[in-house]
Amino acid sequence: MFNIEEFDIKLDTEFIGRNFIYCDEIDSTNTVLLNNKDFSQNGTVLLAEYQLKGRGRKDRVWISNAGQNLTFSVLLKHDLKEYNVNVINLGASLSVAQAIENLYQLNVELKWPNDVLVNKKKIAGILIESTSKANKISKLAIGIGINVNQPNFPGKFEIQPTSIRREFKELVSREKLLSEVLNNFETMVDIAHDEPTKVLNDWRNRCKMIGEKIKIIEDDKMRTGLFEDIDENGFLILKAGDKTEKIHYGDVSLR
Amino acid sequence: MVEQSEITEFSVQEGDLKVKISKNSHQAAQVSIQPGSEIVRQTTALPVVTPAEIKPAETAQTNLHEIKSPIVGTFYRAPAPDADPYAQVGSMVSPGTVLCIVEAMKLMNEIEADVSGKIVKILVENATPVEYNQPLFLIET
Repeated sequence: MFNIEEFDIKLDTEFIGRNFIYCDEIDSTNTVLLNNKDFSQNGTVLLAEYQLKGRGRKDRVWISNAGQNLTFSVLLKHDLKEYNVNVINLGASLSVAQAIENLYQLNVELKWPNDVLVNKKKIAGILIESTSKANKISKLAIGIGINVNQPNFPGKFEIQPTSIRREFKELVSREKLLSEVLNNFETMVDIAHDEPTKVLNDWRNRCKMIGEKIKIIEDDKMRTGLFEDIDENGFLILKAGDKTEKIHYGDVSLR
Repeated sequence: MVEQSEITEFSVQEGDLKVKISKNSHQAAQVSIQPGSEIVRQTTALPVVTPAEIKPAETAQTNLHEIKSPIVGTFYRAPAPDADPYAQVGSMVSPGTVLCIVEAMKLMNEIEADVSGKIVKILVENATPVEYNQPLFLIET
């Protein structure tokens, strides 16, 4: 059971999580936050113990045991210029990484664009969904899944999953972790607005793939090259021979 | 300067600022500054084209509304590779109807129509890159 009081005591934010909705079971926290008009306050957080239709990119699913992990979404409605949205996207993974490192002293890396890894295994994933009217983004739901106390992960995965419990060798408080992530996230959203290059630099420092030879797979297409850097939007700069290309989607792995 | 030259009218534009200087035979030179979005550069005594006479190509057909991309990313017409497209040429849409997704870095951005009408053209191929503000759909209103 999630102890809302314990979470609330640790929450140190102005607006993120101040409207907090907890539910046992839901289709997808992103979908509900974007489509339900009752949840319209900027910074609303919706936490579900179990998602019936938790998902990743395209037709992938996000599987998470009920009651052991954190699956939640944050609604943002203000200052959603394109630039900020991309920085907030990378910054969300940074907020999760910092929280896990601060609380459990684990060595956390990031994989482009927003996977969170410990010992090369995936400990958290992020999927952002937004709604645009005409050419303006009006609402953004940042969906975050963190593997917290799940003991094992049967099945086949593209990247081997792990949990904080597996890496830290102890059961941990989900309430404390969620408040730490949201505290970091709100600070990051402010920095993304005022000093986006700082967020991008912090992200770079945690991505060990920059400078390495990588492959990027999307559907049946594969590109290979050197992961040179990310640009001011967070797009991956891939260098192949003397040509550079900006990549905005695809699965990245080391060659 | 205008007084002393043979030029009777002269207009120049930088960005949104348009300056038009004209000299009528017995009147003092007049300067008018008008905002405009047309690209007009005239430095000769050719008949001056006034802003009202210039129409950008996109508004030439007044009943067509463009839906543009709010972000740089990849354009998808369907929510998943094997799913039906959100919208087809000929589909009737209204404000709030989802038309497509533009994805950038695991940010799936659903783009909704902001007008009522009929889709008459889809300007981008599925799964291809789009730029910021690139037109995606034409809707006849």
